[in-house]
Amino acid sequence: MTRMRRPRLVSGIAIGVLITLLFLLPVLYAIMLAFESPSHFLSSPLTPGSPVTSNFSGAWNGADLGVELLNTVLYSVVAAALSVLFGLLIAFPVARRLVRGHSAVYTFLFVGLFLPLSVIPLYAEARILGLYNSRIGYIILHVEPGLPLAVILLTAAIYSVPVELDEAAWMEGASYLDYLMRVVVPLIRPALLIAFLYGLLGVWNDIIGPVVLLADPSLFPVTRGIYNFFGSNESEWTLLAAAIVIASLPVVVLFAAAQRQINRASLVGSVKG
Amino acid sequence: MTALRLGSRRAAVTPAGASAPTSRRVRRPKPARLLSRPSRVVMWGGLLLGLAVYVLFGIVPMIGNVIISFTDYTGLPGEAVHNLGFANYTSIGSTQAPGFEQGIVASLVFVVAVTIGQNVLALLFAHKLVGSGRFAALGRLLVFLPIALGVTVVGLVWILIFDPQQGPMASLFGAFGLHPAFFGADYWAMPLVIFVQIWQNAGFSTLVFIGGLRAIDPALYEAAAMDGIGGWQRLRRITFPLLAPSVTAAVLLAVVGSFTTYNLIYVLTDGQYGTQTLGILSFNVAFGSFEANLGYGAAVSVILFVMTLVVALPLMALLRRRERRLLG
Repeated sequence: MTRMRRPRLVSGIAIGVLITLLFLLPVLYAIMLAFESPSHFLSSPLTPGSPVTSNFSGAWNGADLGVELLNTVLYSVVAAALSVLFGLLIAFPVARRLVRGHSAVYTFLFVGLFLPLSVIPLYAEARILGLYNSRIGYIILHVEPGLPLAVILLTAAIYSVPVELDEAAWMEGASYLDYLMRVVVPLIRPALLIAFLYGLLGVWNDIIGPVVLLADPSLFPVTRGIYNFFGSNESEWTLLAAAIVIASLPVVVLFAAAQRQINRASLVGSVKG
Repeated sequence: MTALRLGSRRAAVTPAGASAPTSRRVRRPKPARLLSRPSRVVMWGGLLLGLAVYVLFGIVPMIGNVIISFTDYTGLPGEAVHNLGFANYTSIGSTQAPGFEQGIVASLVFVVAVTIGQNVLALLFAHKLVGSGRFAALGRLLVFLPIALGVTVVGLVWILIFDPQQGPMASLFGAFGLHPAFFGADYWAMPLVIFVQIWQNAGFSTLVFIGGLRAIDPALYEAAAMDGIGGWQRLRRITFPLLAPSVTAAVLLAVVGSFTTYNLIYVLTDGQYGTQTLGILSFNVAFGSFEANLGYGAAVSVILFVMTLVVALPLMALLRRRERRLLG
């Protein structure tokens, strides 16, 4: 017995060390840099000195991070919420076979998971429809990327809601939307949350969209903000690192808070596959 | 009252189950009929609204891409658009439009290396992180972190680490007498871009494999342990065959993803120093600082799309056949 366990323990530790080195060290390095004084960084770039916080205020003001973070939150929360709402409005009739061609609709959206985002025609569309360089336009253009996954996840979740609930509610005259919002939504909350989070991450982390679809710096989200900040402050690493830490802190906190739900989601996926 | 009705109905329906829709249809009234007329209108309205968003911003761009590839569209308002026929396609590879042949080579190198690296690493991770322990949960959090951080943050962090003057990697390589410019050097940039791409997406493949591993019936392992079948044999005889569907999914997602992605390359090198894959080439031709040639960019992305299909579809058939062979 012990003879079998030993190599397992060793390989377990080896993978643990590999993961720590590969995934934790780069993050820790960026955090260390953010707390480094520029002069100390110049003299000894690899070791931590006495921590300073001046980089954070410098980056906050220099990169206009306040406005950019607000833009990012606005874009990603609204667009992801709309993705989930439209996803639900598609997924419910499809899951319940309430409409003819429900399986065709499902396949149609499933294909969307594999379609590359074609940014050139999207730019043309944005120009033609007047969605270019506008907050509302930017949000509208970012609803679709989260939609296919939302439909797939929500359809699977709705299967687990007993059909009898629908019938009981409708026989008693509940309206469709009332029923959806008051009964279905609370029952499938984990799936809604995951669809929302994936949508949110997609919009939050988009860099091509802000480069192509926005021109006015006051509309920029934080990705383009720190990218531009990098371009104009190429030698000030400590400032840059602070900007990176500020920009990614909200999403890391959110992600860590939702970790349990995400793990559960991978479990749900496995049951279906 | 309701409960009673629910109970009897469930008893009548469950044997047929969701897999037998025909018998279900016979036994119960069409569920949509239970909805009032206004509710049915709302339901259809919601469905069509959602589909309209999908068609308008998901499907129309796909078709629009092909249409734009036959024109000289510049994207600037007020400028006339002309039909060029196949001119954008025939000029590909000519001297006026350089970069295409290197683009194909760069794309193939990138896709093969990323697909292999990402999936091998993810298999290793998934095998160790599938458990329910605290370390496994922490490990899953760590490998998924780059996805949460996004390509911009990830790209900039690695640029800091591989800074040729002050980055820690410069010191490490310097100890061996090497002073490369990393992301700013031919022959160095591509392997590094591949590495960061793998780093960025390994967590995603890991989740796919963890899902597959958790779907394997633990009773199989218990039976194997009972028969005294050891670790390696169990891995070979149970885990590998039963993981085949997850391998298919993860490999295909990696191939399609790495063929079409270019946002990380945009952040790291913007396609310079031998990293100009077809994806970033198409983007740079359309939106780069030199030219605003959306028609030519669209033609490149159409070719990229066809290439992706040409690679992915036979690969899918191959992987499916492998699944059938392994699962019997």
